[in-house]
Amino acid sequence: MGSTLPAVAEELLKEIKKAFQESSHVPDDLLLGLKFIFGPCAVPALDLVDQHSVTRVTSPSGRVLYQVLGSSGKLYTCYSSCHFCTCPAFGFTVLQKSESLLCKHLLAVYLSQAMGACQELTVSEEQLTNILLAEEEDEG
Amino acid sequence: LCRGGLAERLCRLQNRERSAISFWRHQCISDAKIPSDKSGVLMVRILEIFEECTIQVAICQQLEQSPATLSPEDAVINEEEPILKVLFTKETAAHLKSRPQDVIHIYPPWQKLLLRNADVPVIMNTYFSQKVLLSEHSEAREKTYGLTKMLIRKNIISLAQTFRLDDLDDEFHQESSENWVARAPQIHNKCDSKQHPLALSAVNDSLLEMVESQGAVGWREAQVRVVIQRVYCLPAKQGYRSHVQGNKPLCATPIMNTEPPNVRLCLLVQDAYGMFSEVQLQSLSSIDDIEQYWRRWEGKFCCLSGVKILQRTTRGRALGLFSLIDSLWPPVVPVKVPGQSQDSEMMTTDLPAPSFCYILTVQSGEVHVEVDEEEQISNLYQPPAVHSLKEILQIDGCNERCSFWAQVLYLRLQTKHSVPINQREILLFVTDSTLQNVVHMIPKVVAVSVTASCAVSMEIIEALSVASRLVFFKDALWGNGRIICVERTVLLLQKPLLCSAAGADLSELTGPVRLDELDSTTQANSICALRGTVVGVNESTAFSWPACDRCGNGKLELCPQDRELLYCRQCSEVVITPVLKMQLEVFLSCPSRSQSTVKVKVWHEISFSILNTVGLGRQRVQSVLGKEVGLLNCYVHSVTSHPNCVALEEIVLL
Repeated sequence: MGSTLPAVAEELLKEIKKAFQESSHVPDDLLLGLKFIFGPCAVPALDLVDQHSVTRVTSPSGRVLYQVLGSSGKLYTCYSSCHFCTCPAFGFTVLQKSESLLCKHLLAVYLSQAMGACQELTVSEEQLTNILLAEEEDEG
Repeated sequence: LCRGGLAERLCRLQNRERSAISFWRHQCISDAKIPSDKSGVLMVRILEIFEECTIQVAICQQLEQSPATLSPEDAVINEEEPILKVLFTKETAAHLKSRPQDVIHIYPPWQKLLLRNADVPVIMNTYFSQKVLLSEHSEAREKTYGLTKMLIRKNIISLAQTFRLDDLDDEFHQESSENWVARAPQIHNKCDSKQHPLALSAVNDSLLEMVESQGAVGWREAQVRVVIQRVYCLPAKQGYRSHVQGNKPLCATPIMNTEPPNVRLCLLVQDAYGMFSEVQLQSLSSIDDIEQYWRRWEGKFCCLSGVKILQRTTRGRALGLFSLIDSLWPPVVPVKVPGQSQDSEMMTTDLPAPSFCYILTVQSGEVHVEVDEEEQISNLYQPPAVHSLKEILQIDGCNERCSFWAQVLYLRLQTKHSVPINQREILLFVTDSTLQNVVHMIPKVVAVSVTASCAVSMEIIEALSVASRLVFFKDALWGNGRIICVERTVLLLQKPLLCSAAGADLSELTGPVRLDELDSTTQANSICALRGTVVGVNESTAFSWPACDRCGNGKLELCPQDRELLYCRQCSEVVITPVLKMQLEVFLSCPSRSQSTVKVKVWHEISFSILNTVGLGRQRVQSVLGKEVGLLNCYVHSVTSHPNCVALEEIVLL
């Protein structure tokens, strides 16, 4: 049988977007749903959204990525084309142990999208490439 | 976490949910039978289980009726029964230990989600789930299964599958409004027997109910009626006390108020059940206003509405608040007991002391505190019990709130230069007739330390710097042999209307005030009287300075026009005939403390008339030696044992 959870998560996020668009308010039910599905990263993700920590970085060619200012002050990069984040928690909890669908930064990206809380930044092609390559260098 | 942000809100919801879950689990253990109230309960039979991340996904068949009528061994899937996908968190799954064919009852509040391209609805928020054992056979099977570990397939989720949130404008928009089904009704707490605890405009008498139903329908309009037990100020931020200039004897320097106080008016209220709450109201423009509020409001009933919970604090975290609450416990009249039906109201005074307290604040904007000033003082009100200083010194306890009248004899600012002026402690030396008229064993004067957290009005500070005044100390703290004024202590100049005075009128002091004489028990930061003989002079400390003969200002400046003349900034005039002030340190031999070197800084004119040293020169110094000095009132700066020395400074009592 195919997977269930991603569809559920996506639906939940869509509901949040709809509720927010209609009333600028996220009802308690949906917040608790977030907690149910995403577990311990729900509250930290919401905190990142409260603090407007998510920036959507775009380049003229249309490439997109997200940068999230973590609580420690470090900037993490989240891809938009697949679920990937440069934070250590992602590597451990999502990739290695498959214990969670997302890390708190990725969830914050989705929530910020849903609530229009993303800061926008346009950079040149070269700058965006550098951001992506910089991550590679760190891992190297 | 951001105040008022989503994270904070979820935290709060989560905490509430967690306590509801543990309460429910506990209830399940204690209630052996299945509760008869079936409304909202989802009954399912598990067909298949697998895991995705830490969520357990159970493909189930929804059961229409109680499965007791079905054969427990019946594995045939009845095609008419709907299929559901029920999600359980890791924790719930561990609790249930489900296997295929198990029957689970899911109690509200659970939630149903309809996915777009799937037929099978998803059930979430399944914290309140319970496995139902239908027969003895199942119980035995349960036990054996408990010993073997079941293997559950784990679905690995692809990271390539991202979420798309932006297709709401398509044809599914209509459908999406039905996707999220409202949650099933919540189980009521066992104690809550009322249908609608907060009907519109109904006045409640329970703080706990009001606080717990925050966010529910009609909460904003609901009112709770409480008794105002205490009125006081709390500092809003750091700097709240107005500037007091310098730390020289205050009679010479006028007090300047350069900073508005940053204080909030607060009430300690109590409801009909004896529960306390601290309500923080608006900022006061002047601390002097506190007296008005105290007079008009303390002891009266008031209706609170639209309050917001700032904090739920406990005894261990808010010692100051609870020392005040303890002074009001037990209640003077019987209070209601919660949890009973409202018909047969139980009343009692025999309750344990409160262990928690809600700190509330009113929403900005409308008036939410209506005090019934015309009405009588409530029976529940406990006015501060006034004691004499002698009684207070004999209290055996720590952190006890006490109230008393006392005459202030001397005022001193703590001189720590690292602390900003408006946060310095004030030391007051006070006495009353019970201390003055005692022969021995009890000090004649007591030091009262007013800490930075106690809001004191300018009126009082000014009054105290000019003359000796009678001050009412309301709810000061006694402990470890000291009286301190902290948060929630109020200093007042007038006599309150209600106070249980013990014995005679304590306010009148007959005769001049006497201080304890310097002796071997004298400690630093106290005041005392001494007499002795001058045995030495510390000439290096001697200096003199001119002061204005009009206002006494010791900080004269050179006139800009004529550098020969002196100018007083406070009078804004030239000083023609300045007064010469002098300061000198003398060593005395005091019979009352003969073992110590007593070093006194003398500066006041009176002592100089005794010493007769206008214009110091070697001869004059010689003439001072051997002179008798006494009875001098002094402030003790320090007492050291090695070398055995007491350093004092002459003072003038108010």
